[in-house]
Amino acid sequence: MSPSTEKAVLRVAGLGKRYSSDGPPALTDVTFDVAQGELLAIVGPSGCGKTTLLRIMCGLLPSSEGTVLLDGRPVSRPSGEVALVFQDYSRSLFPWLNVRRNVTFPLARDGLSRAERAARAEAALSEVGLEGDGSKYPWQLSGGMQQRVAIARALVSRPAVVFLDEPFASVDALTRAELQDLLLSIHAHAEDGGTTIVHVTHDVDEAVYLADRVLMLTPSPGTVAASVEVGLPRPRNQTATRSSLRFLDLRNEVHDVIVQARR
Amino acid sequence: MSTRAPLTRFRGVLLGALVFVAALAIWEAWARSAESFYFPPVSEIGREALDVWPSADFLTAVGASVKRLAAGYAIGATAGVSIGLAMGSSRRVRSTLGPTTEFLRALPVIAVVPIAISLLDDGDTMRIAVIAFGVFFPVLVATVAGVCGVPPEIRDTAALFHLGKVERTIRVYLPAALPTIFAGLRTALSIGLVLVVIAEFTGTGDGLGVYIWTQRFLFDVQAMYAGILFLGLLGYVLNGLLLVLERRVLAWHYGAIGEPVH
Amino acid sequence: MAERVGRDSQARVLREHGLLRRANIAGVLFALAFLLVAEACVRLFDLSDSVAAPADTAGALFEGISDGSLAGEVETTLVTYVQGLALAAVIGVLLGIAIGSSRTVESASSVVIEFLRPIPAVALIPLAIFWFGLGTPMLRFLVAYAAVWPILVHTVYGVRGVDRVLHDVAATSGVTGAARITRVSVPAALPSIATGIRISAALALAVCVTGEYFVGTEGIGHYMQDHAAAYRLPELYAAAALTGLLGLAIDVALRSAERRVLFWAGEERVRPR
Repeated sequence: MSPSTEKAVLRVAGLGKRYSSDGPPALTDVTFDVAQGELLAIVGPSGCGKTTLLRIMCGLLPSSEGTVLLDGRPVSRPSGEVALVFQDYSRSLFPWLNVRRNVTFPLARDGLSRAERAARAEAALSEVGLEGDGSKYPWQLSGGMQQRVAIARALVSRPAVVFLDEPFASVDALTRAELQDLLLSIHAHAEDGGTTIVHVTHDVDEAVYLADRVLMLTPSPGTVAASVEVGLPRPRNQTATRSSLRFLDLRNEVHDVIVQARR
Repeated sequence: MSTRAPLTRFRGVLLGALVFVAALAIWEAWARSAESFYFPPVSEIGREALDVWPSADFLTAVGASVKRLAAGYAIGATAGVSIGLAMGSSRRVRSTLGPTTEFLRALPVIAVVPIAISLLDDGDTMRIAVIAFGVFFPVLVATVAGVCGVPPEIRDTAALFHLGKVERTIRVYLPAALPTIFAGLRTALSIGLVLVVIAEFTGTGDGLGVYIWTQRFLFDVQAMYAGILFLGLLGYVLNGLLLVLERRVLAWHYGAIGEPVH
Repeated sequence: MAERVGRDSQARVLREHGLLRRANIAGVLFALAFLLVAEACVRLFDLSDSVAAPADTAGALFEGISDGSLAGEVETTLVTYVQGLALAAVIGVLLGIAIGSSRTVESASSVVIEFLRPIPAVALIPLAIFWFGLGTPMLRFLVAYAAVWPILVHTVYGVRGVDRVLHDVAATSGVTGAARITRVSVPAALPSIATGIRISAALALAVCVTGEYFVGTEGIGHYMQDHAAAYRLPELYAAAALTGLLGLAIDVALRSAERRVLFWAGEERVRPR
């Protein structure tokens, strides 16, 4: 975990979380930085506190110790500056709104005119490949498309960090590959050096395929076991990248760390 | 049910209608032979109903009852949704008001009638108050359940959008809870109807309940049947109206889960 | 396992009613404040002609129980209530199973049921008096009539909602027809049936007391009507409060019994924030 030379958008220091005073801590002494424009993957087995960590970083859950700094300011409550994409897309989109209104929902308080909001929504929708589907309702879309809407909604307010909590775990393998590539293209596209993304997953291959850096968490009490720089060249490719030797070495390395940490 | 082919459905309804008619026929035959005062033949009830239902007096009475029901329902439902939203979105409010509302909810509504009479005197205000009281609780319970049942993903999303508590409650929790709230509204309607009748069993003034109750002393059994049947019909129609409203408002919900079973 | 579930379930049930001993202090305080304000209002504005003060009500409740006048009526009411509820349960469950498992039965009974359902039980009181006279049989009928609907609806819902997968498992195991109904459909529908019974239980108590109020010669309802006519408000309120408490107690009892018997049923509950 070398200090990055780019600006660190997110700083997590000594983070710990305890749910009850006599039980084991869920998280302990978690420390890492996320640089501006970095795509960080966090991997670990179930129960290692990945989701807890994510929720604390978003401000949805208070920490028991340690700090989280977003752009230098401490995070203690949800601030509207980050976005979160959930695993269960069917329960995170507002079923009473159509796609366009779901996507513009976060913009309601930003003081934008209606035309501007519509324009941003359209831009977000085309970025995820759903231009023209604005009038549909979530239940009319397939799982993969619903998740795309969720991603569009996350992007539309131009958050400082986009967090994803096992976002592709509930879709089939083919759709998963599509969505992974979508995420990569979103990461590459954005202005000012790329979108900062923190991607939590249990899938080691996915983590290595997507990320600039992979963080491995141990099972409870969760702490950072190791972090690995993924030096694979971009743009990445499902066939070429995944069959490269470097990829295989990396994913084996990550895999071994996790299996070790399990013991 | 609606997944069956139209012909099968039609046959199903036909069967149901046949069974119904058969039941009526049996009643008719038995009533005629037994000649019991309390079980007049269906044909006599029918005749009485056709006589009484369209009459001006009867319709005025029904109108009075419906007006009371509407007023009491509006008050009770509005209060129920408002307080329900407050309780549903805040654990603190829920636990503070909880025990008191739980207890009041368990009171049999019949007990409320004499209490209301002693407070407000036997009249329209008393009846509307009783109806509002009875309608309030199912709507409250349904609203709280609806808000508590909002998936955590939606809550978290609303929180991350940095909406204020009030805005979050109205723009997110309320629409998300609407399907459940509507179920409560339907239950409350049935309860409201019952309460109109009970409140009117005190006998003063006018109304459908007064009509039915008075027949007892007039020993007009046919008229009583006619009144009760009309009440059932009224309930069916009002419920149907509420369903129509529900389908409009909750079009998004039914698109997602399919048609409701009432 | 059922042992521990039993204890857990009681705690959970109490918690659901906001009564956990880990002191829902705010809740209790609010309730007390409510009573105190009511007491103060009655005293200060001298409203005791129209409203009974909480203190008087409590007094009347205590007396009614200790000298047996109210307590005796409770027993009477409960007997009628349980009889009516049991009758409704038997009819409701049997009919519900039939309707839920057979489209034919469902169609045949649909019109009759849709016709009867909108008629509220209490509206039948004057008619029921004609049919059964004043007294217990009439009340039993009333309670049963009112209670049968939620049970019926929930039984049908439960039987119909049995996962298709379970039916397939039964079929491939060679369990068909009536055996399938008793060994698969009914057990799987039990959670829904239990909910229906609980809802009916609350409804039935209210209907029973209502019936007693209008025509009974005994029971809590009659006690209320008696004292209401004589304008003895504290006794009236005391009876009402007692009925409320009775309803709560029955609900708690049913819920914990439900949890114990149906410990295998999954928890659908989302923990409220």
